[in-house]
Amino acid sequence: MTKAVGPEAGGEYIEIYGVRWSRWAAKLSAQVDIIISLIIVLAVTAAFHLHFMLLAGDWDFWVDWKDREYWVTLTPIVAITFPAALQYVLWEKFRLPIGATLAITGLMVGAWIARFFGFHLWSYFPFSLVWPALMIPGALVLDCVLLLTGNFFITAVIGGMGFAVLFYPSNWPMLAAYRLPVEVMGSLVSVGDYIGYAFTRTATPEYLRFIERGTLRTFGGHSAWVSSAFAGFVCVLTYLLWWHIGMLLSRVTTLPNRWRHLFGYPRERPPQTASPAVPRDAS
Amino acid sequence: MRADACSRGWLALAWLLGANVALAHGERNQEPFLRMRTAQFYDVSWSTDHIAVNENVVVTGRFRLFEDWPANLPQPDRVFIGNGTPGPVLARVESYINGAPAIQSGRLQLNRDYEFKTVLKGRIPGRHHVHPMLNVEGAGPLLGPGQWLEVSGDHRDFKLSLTTIDGTQIDNLETWGVDTVVRWEGFWILMALVFVGWWLRRPLLMTRLRALELGHEEALVTRADRRFGAVFLVSTVLAVFGAATWAEQKYPRTIPLQAGQFRVEPLPREAQEIRVTVKRATYDVPGRAMKLQVEIHNPLDRPLQVGEFMTSNLRFVNHALPAAMARVEASYPAELLPRTGLTLPDSTPIAPHETRAMLIEATDAVWETERLTSLLSDPDNRVGGLLFLYDDAGQRSIANVSGAIVPVFVGS
Repeated sequence: MTKAVGPEAGGEYIEIYGVRWSRWAAKLSAQVDIIISLIIVLAVTAAFHLHFMLLAGDWDFWVDWKDREYWVTLTPIVAITFPAALQYVLWEKFRLPIGATLAITGLMVGAWIARFFGFHLWSYFPFSLVWPALMIPGALVLDCVLLLTGNFFITAVIGGMGFAVLFYPSNWPMLAAYRLPVEVMGSLVSVGDYIGYAFTRTATPEYLRFIERGTLRTFGGHSAWVSSAFAGFVCVLTYLLWWHIGMLLSRVTTLPNRWRHLFGYPRERPPQTASPAVPRDAS
Repeated sequence: MRADACSRGWLALAWLLGANVALAHGERNQEPFLRMRTAQFYDVSWSTDHIAVNENVVVTGRFRLFEDWPANLPQPDRVFIGNGTPGPVLARVESYINGAPAIQSGRLQLNRDYEFKTVLKGRIPGRHHVHPMLNVEGAGPLLGPGQWLEVSGDHRDFKLSLTTIDGTQIDNLETWGVDTVVRWEGFWILMALVFVGWWLRRPLLMTRLRALELGHEEALVTRADRRFGAVFLVSTVLAVFGAATWAEQKYPRTIPLQAGQFRVEPLPREAQEIRVTVKRATYDVPGRAMKLQVEIHNPLDRPLQVGEFMTSNLRFVNHALPAAMARVEASYPAELLPRTGLTLPDSTPIAPHETRAMLIEATDAVWETERLTSLLSDPDNRVGGLLFLYDDAGQRSIANVSGAIVPVFVGS
C-alpha cells in the first residue's frame, strides 16, 4: 500500500493507499498520527474509565457483586457506549475497524491501574476481591463484525448482541473459582461471598450489594443467560444511540467570531443573500 | 508489605508537609444524635491490644438499639455487624449476633439488647483503631468504642485458608484465583494488541482520511484484512466458549452469590424494667456539665444505686460505687472514661418500689473534645443514653434515658 512513484528521480513522491504524497508530507503526517493517536488513547481511556466507574462501579469493583443478574445485565450496556462512538469515528473517517477494541482495552488498562494503585496499594484490598471484568472478546467481535459487514446496523444487531452474550462466558473461566460452595459458621456461602466478608469494606456493608435475589428462578436457574439476552437487546439500542453520539461529536462546525474586530481584524460581513431585498414600496 | 510501605510513605510525606494526620476514623465527626440515640454499645472488650500477623483479636460486647431512635432515620430492618478499621487491615474471620452467624445482614428490634462477637485476624502491620460497628441501611455506620491495636510481623506471611464443601483446598484467599485472572486477562490484552497492531503497522490517520475522501476504499480494507477479521472472529468465539467449558469441567459444583438474611432473637428482657423519666436536662456550656433532673422508679424488691451513665461510648462512672467500678474493663479506652465520673448529690439507695427524683451530673471537657456539644445546634435537640443501676449484690439493671435538652450559656 506504500510505494515510491513518479518520474522524479530518487522517489521524491510515494503512493499511500493510491494517493500520491511527497516524502516530506508523508513523514509529517506519520508524526502527526502518533501525536493524535496518543491523545485519543489517553482521552478515551480516561473518559471511558470515569464513565464506567460511575455507572458499573461496585459491580466491577468487587468479586461478591459479580452476580448472575445485575452485573451481567448492566456491564455490557454501559460498556458498549464508548466503543460504539469510537467505532463511528474510526470507521467512517479512517476505515479503521478498531474502535471497540481500542476503547475496551484502554478501559481495562485504566481499570488495572486503578485497582493496583488505588485498591491494592492504597487501600490494602487483595486482587482476589477487586479484579476487573473482561470485555475484550466482545469488543473484538464488535470490531470484526463491522470489518466484515461494513454496516453499522448489522454491527449493532449482531455485534451488540454478541458483545453482551459473550460477556458472561468470557468471565466464567476466572469467576468459577469464586463460586465454589463453602461452609462458614454453619452457613452456605460462595468463596466470593466469604472474600467480600473477610476483607472489610468499612463503609460498604453486605446489605448494600445489589445482587440477584432469585427473581429469575422460573427460567430453570439459567439467570445469567436470560440476563445476557436482555442485555444484548439493550446493547443493540445503546449501540445505535452511541454511534450517533459519535457522529455528533466528530462533526466539525464553526461559529462566526463576533469579537474579531477587537483584535484588529475587520468585522465579518454577513453572507450575501440570494435575492436582493425588496423595497417597501415595490408594489 | 508493599501496601504497608506505601501507607507509611504517605504518612511520612504528610508529616514532612506539616499536616495533622488523623489516625482514627473521624467517629467524632458523626452527628451527636447518631451517637447518642441509635446503637448503645456496652460491655465492649478486646481480647488483646497486640497481635502478630495471622493471630486473632476477639471483640465482644453488647449493644442496645435505642428506644428513642431518631425519627429521621429508617428503622433497623437491615443491619450488618461490621468492624470499623482502616480498610481490610484485619481480616474478619467470624462474627456473631446472639450466637447466630452474622455473615449476612438481618433485622433487629428497637429497645432490645444483643450480644456480639467478632473475630479479626491480623493482616497489615501497623497501629490500627478497631471499633465494633453496626451498619444500618439508610442510617449508615454506627460506631462502638475504638481501641488501638498493634499488629506486628510481615504482611507477606498472611494466610487465610479454607476448604470448600467439595474438598478443594484454598491455601490463601488473598491470592486464590488471581493467577487465572492475570493469565486469562493478559491473554486477551495480547489478542487485542495483535488485532490493533495489524492496523497500526500501516500508515494511520491522515493518509487514510485522504484516501477515503478520494474514494480509495479498497486500498484501505483489503481482502487479507477481511480474512484476518474472519479468522479473529471465529477464534474469539471458540476461545471464549472453549475456556468456559474448561471452567465448567474444572469446577462442576458452583453456587450463586448468597443474598439471604439472618434471623436472630434479641436477648430476653429484664423481668422488671426500671423506668427513668427525664424532667429536665441541661447542658452547662461554660461549665461543660450535663445535668439530668430525673425521676427513677425502682420496681424491684431490692434497693438500687446509680452506677453509670453511658452515652456515645462515654462512660461516666460513679466512683463511689464499687460494683460500678468493677464493671470497667481494663481494656476500655481511657479517653472514653471521663476522670470526673458521675456526680450524684443524693447517692443514697433507691428503696424497693420507690420513685425518687434526683439530679445526675456528668461534668467533663470530654463533651467538647468528643464534639458532642454540637448537639445544641441539632434540629432535634434530645439527649439519650443508658443508666446502669446496681443492687446491693452487685447485680446490674439497665434503663433508657432520653429527653429534650436545653443549653445554659451563663455559668450556674
